[in-house]
Amino acid sequence: MKRPLALLFALCPVLFAADPVEADYYKITTFQTPKETAMEVGSIDLLPDGRLVMGNRRGEIWIVSGAGSDDPSNVSYQLFASGLHEVLGIAYNPKDKNIYATTRYEITRLKDVDGDGRADVFDNVNDGWGVSGDYHEYAIGSRFDKAGDLWVTLCLTGSFSSAVPFRGWALRIQPDGKMVPTCSGIRSPGGMGFDADGEVYYCDNQGPWHGSCTLQHLVPGSFQGHPGGNVWYDQAPNMGPKPIDPIPEAFQGDRGRKEARPGGDPGRMVQERERIKELLPPAVYLVHGKIGNSATAIICDTSGGKFGPFSKQLFVADQSHSNLSRVFLETINGIKQGVVFPFRLGFNSGLIGGRMDEEGRVFVGGSDRGWGARGGKPFCFEKCEWTGKTPFEVHEMRAKPDGFELTFTHAVDPTTAGDVKSYSMREFTYAYREQYGGDEIDEIIPKITAAQVAEDGKSVRLTISPLTQGHIHELHLDGVRSAEKLPLLHTVGYYTLNEIPAR
Amino acid sequence: MIRPLLFLLLTALACRAIEPAAFTIKTMTAQMKYDTAELLVQPGQPVKILFENGDDLPHNLVFCQPGTDTAAMAMKQMEKPEEALKRNWLPDDPRIWLHSKMLNPHEKEELSFTAPAKPGTYPYVCTFPGHALTMRGEMKVAPMGEGLKDLQFALYLGNWSQLPDFSKLKPHREGKVDDNLIQVKLDDYKNEFGVVFTGKLIAPRKGSYRFFLSSDDGARIHIDGTEVVAYDGIHPAGDIKEKGIPLDKGEHTLRLEYFQGGGNIELYAAWKGADFQITPLSKWLHPNWKGGAKKQKEFDPIPLVVKDEPVIYRNFIQGAGNRGIGVGYPGGINLAWSAESMNLALIWRGAFLDAAKHWNSRGGGHQAPLGYDVLQPTGEVTPAFHITDKPETAWPAYDKAKRHAGFEWKGYTLDAKRAPTFRYTWQEAEIEETFTTEGNGNKPDGNAKLIRTVKINGKLPENTWYRLGVGMFENKDGAHILKSPKPCRITATDAQLAGPNLVIPAKPGTMTITYQWAQ
Repeated sequence: MKRPLALLFALCPVLFAADPVEADYYKITTFQTPKETAMEVGSIDLLPDGRLVMGNRRGEIWIVSGAGSDDPSNVSYQLFASGLHEVLGIAYNPKDKNIYATTRYEITRLKDVDGDGRADVFDNVNDGWGVSGDYHEYAIGSRFDKAGDLWVTLCLTGSFSSAVPFRGWALRIQPDGKMVPTCSGIRSPGGMGFDADGEVYYCDNQGPWHGSCTLQHLVPGSFQGHPGGNVWYDQAPNMGPKPIDPIPEAFQGDRGRKEARPGGDPGRMVQERERIKELLPPAVYLVHGKIGNSATAIICDTSGGKFGPFSKQLFVADQSHSNLSRVFLETINGIKQGVVFPFRLGFNSGLIGGRMDEEGRVFVGGSDRGWGARGGKPFCFEKCEWTGKTPFEVHEMRAKPDGFELTFTHAVDPTTAGDVKSYSMREFTYAYREQYGGDEIDEIIPKITAAQVAEDGKSVRLTISPLTQGHIHELHLDGVRSAEKLPLLHTVGYYTLNEIPAR
Repeated sequence: MIRPLLFLLLTALACRAIEPAAFTIKTMTAQMKYDTAELLVQPGQPVKILFENGDDLPHNLVFCQPGTDTAAMAMKQMEKPEEALKRNWLPDDPRIWLHSKMLNPHEKEELSFTAPAKPGTYPYVCTFPGHALTMRGEMKVAPMGEGLKDLQFALYLGNWSQLPDFSKLKPHREGKVDDNLIQVKLDDYKNEFGVVFTGKLIAPRKGSYRFFLSSDDGARIHIDGTEVVAYDGIHPAGDIKEKGIPLDKGEHTLRLEYFQGGGNIELYAAWKGADFQITPLSKWLHPNWKGGAKKQKEFDPIPLVVKDEPVIYRNFIQGAGNRGIGVGYPGGINLAWSAESMNLALIWRGAFLDAAKHWNSRGGGHQAPLGYDVLQPTGEVTPAFHITDKPETAWPAYDKAKRHAGFEWKGYTLDAKRAPTFRYTWQEAEIEETFTTEGNGNKPDGNAKLIRTVKINGKLPENTWYRLGVGMFENKDGAHILKSPKPCRITATDAQLAGPNLVIPAKPGTMTITYQWAQ
C-alpha cells in the first residue's frame, strides 16, 4: 500500500503546478527607457491625445508616445522639461491645456509657447509651504480634482517633525493659485489619487503614530493622525482650532522629549477618535510587511471593465514590495473603510507613480533609490494589462452588523464556500503611539458561525462573533473553491473595520 | 594525516597571540548602506563591532556562513510574513551565526565574538524587508601573510615630476630597514628625493598574488624585475592601485620605487594571496584600509555637462538656500539664483554641478558647485531690495524657517537660447532679471563676465536700495572690487558704497550690473 501513496504524493506537485498564477490574468510589460537618464518615474498623467506625461526623481518631464501599443518597442520619449526639483506630481489641466508639476517647493505650470516640444515658461502657481533643506520634505502632488484644484501632501521634516510651515499637511491649490490648508496629520505621504467619485486619498507610511502604511481619505478639515504638523493651525484659520493632541502616554521613547514612560500602554485609534473629534482613522491599513512596506500611487479603475472585473476599485502601489494591491471601499456611518487584497507582484523596481488610461492599461514606474525594493532593478517604467481572463477572486467584502458579505468574480462551489471551515479570521490592531511602527496587537480570534452561499452562487454571507471596531479583520479563504473547483488566486484580505454598520 | 596537521595549525594559531580587532559599522543616513563594505579579520581573532544605526529606518546586522545568498535569504521571509514579523525580520536560517537586534533609528549595539576558525568570506546583511540588496558587506576571515625580508633602501636626490630611471642614478645613501616595513624616513629631506626599496617575499605556494600600492607622490612595484603595479606622477595618496600576478612557490624579489616632489609624503604597499588576507608591507596604512575595514565608496560623480545651451538644475545648492536654481551657461560661467531671496546667490567658473549627491539614494544634502572661484557677492540668501534711510546698515538676514516678506516668486521664462529670465514681484513692482555671459570661465585670463540686467516695472517705495554686493570693497579703475574670498569686480552705473554694502538707489527702469572674476 505504501508505494501507490508515495506515487500519488509525487504526482500532486504536478497537479498543483497547474494552479493559476497572477500572470495568467494580468501581464506586465517592461519598457526600455532613454539611455541618457535614469527613468525613476515619480508621477504619470495622461494627455488628451493618449500620450503620457511622466515626471521623474531626476527632475525631468518626459512625453511618452506609443506606450499603449501592443508592441513595447513602439514607445518613444521626448524630453519636455528638465532641472526641476524631483517631480512627484504631474497633472494635465484640461481647462488651460497646460502641464502642472508638483516639485519639492512649488507647483509649476509649464508652457511650450514656441511650440518646439520643450517647455519655455515655468510659472510658479503656488510655493506657499516651507522647505528647510531636509531631504525628507517630499511634496507629493495630485491630478486636478473635480473642482479644478490640485492637492499636495507634504512630508514632515525628517518624517518626524514640522520645522517649517505646513510640513505634515495636505493643501489644496485653487485654480487662481490660492492655497487652502485642508487636512493636518500627514506623516510621510507616498502617493495621492481619487476614487471613482472623485474623493481624494493619499497613502501614508509606517512610522511614528502609524503602525503600518495606510490608505487615508482626505476629508477637508480632518486630522489624519500625526500631530507633528499641528503647530501650524494658527496659519490656517479656515481649519478652526487646533485639535487636542493624542495622549502623551502613547509616548514611550526619549526622542527629544526625554520623557520615557516604559510600560505605559499607548492609545488606540478607536479610543482617540472619541476624544479628538477631527481625528479621521485610516480608511484601510495596508498591513505592514504583508501588503506592503512603502505605499505610493493610488490608481482607480475607471475603465468600465477594460481592466477586468474590479471596476471602480483602487489599486495601491508599493515601492518596497514592488507590487500592486487592490482596495475595495465602502462608506459606513459617513466614514470610508474597506478591504485590501494582494493583487499583482513582480514589478521590476519600487513603484512610485501610476496612472490608468481609458483603455484600462495601468502605467506604473519608480525606483528603488533610498529605501530598497524587491523588484531588484534601480528604476522601471512598466505597463500592467488585463489578459481578458477573469481570476477567481473575492470581488467585494462588505461589513455587516454581524459579519461580512463577500462577493466573488466567479460562482463559488457551494459545498466549500458554505463550509465555515473553509475560512479563518484573525482580528488585530496597532497601537496609536509616537514610537516608530508597532506590532499587531490586541489579537482576537473570532468564531465564524455561518457561511451562507447566495442562490446565484456569487456571494457568501459570513456571520462572525465578535466583530471589533477599530480592528483589522484578516480573512483567510483557503478552502473556498469556485464552481470550477479552482482555489482563489489570493486567499487573504484585510478589512479595516472603523465602523460596524447598524444594518 | 589530517589530524596532526590540524593540530599543528591550531597550535600555530594559539602560539601567535592575535591582537583583538575593533570596528564601528554605521548605517549611512538615507542611503540604505552600511558605511563599511568589508572587514578583514584573522581566524580566531577576538572581534568587537559597535553597530550604530544613524538612519531613520530600523536596521540589523546579520552575519552568515560563506556562500549564503543573503538577498535570497532575506527575501524568503516574505513567504511567511506573519512569522517573519514575529521574529522581527530575522530569518530563521541555520546559516546565520551572529546577529544584532533590529535596531530602531538612533540605537546602537556592541557585538563581541571570536572570528570563525575557518577562513572564508562571511557576508553580512540587513534583513529588514527590502534592504538586503544594497545594505550588505563581507567579513573576510584569513590569516595574515608573511612580510618582507632583508629589506634595503637606497636614497636618491633629485627634482622629478615622474619616476626617474633609478638604475642610471647614483644613490645618495643606502642602508638596511630594521623592521622590514617599507617607510620613508625623512632625514633632512622633505622634498625632491626618491627611494628604492628592495626585499624578499616568500610565496607559500604557486598561485596568484595581488599587490596593492598607494603613494604621494609616485611609486611602482617590480617583482623579479617585472613591473606589477604603478601609480606614477605627482598626486595625493587618494586611490589604491592593485594588480594580480602569478608567482611560483618560493622566494621572489620585490623592488619598490618611490619619489617625492613636494608636500605630503605617504607610501602604502601590501600583498595578498589565496591563503592569506591583505598584508601590509609598509608602515603607513592607507585610510581606506586602516584597521582592516574598507569603507563604502562615495557615489560616482554625475557631472551636469553644459554644452551649447544653458542647463538648469533646481535643488539644494550649498549657499543658495533651499530654493536654489543653478544655471550653467555655455563657456564655463555659472550661477545659482535663489527663489527664496529673489536674488543672485552664487557665481562660479568652470564646471557646473555634480548631481550625484541628489541622484543617488534619497537625495539629501546641499551640493556645492563643481567649478571654482565660487563667490557669494550679494550675501547669503538675502534680497537685493531693501527700504532704509541708512543703506550702510545690515540687510535682512537669512532665516531658513521664514520667507522674506513682500516678495512673490513668479517663475522663469527661457529665451530662444534657453537662458532664463527670473520673474518676481516686490511690493508693487514687477521685476525681471536676465543674465548673459562674456569671455570663457574655463580660462584663467580674468575676462569672464556675468552681466545682470534688472528690469523694474511699477512703483517703488521711498528709500529703496538695490544691493549688488556686500563685503570688503576696494575702489579701482571706476569699479568696485569685492576682496573676499576671491576678488570680484562689480560695475554698475550709480553704484555707491554704503558701509559694507554696494548699492544703487533703486528706481523703475533697467539696471545693468557686471560681475567679473578679477585677477
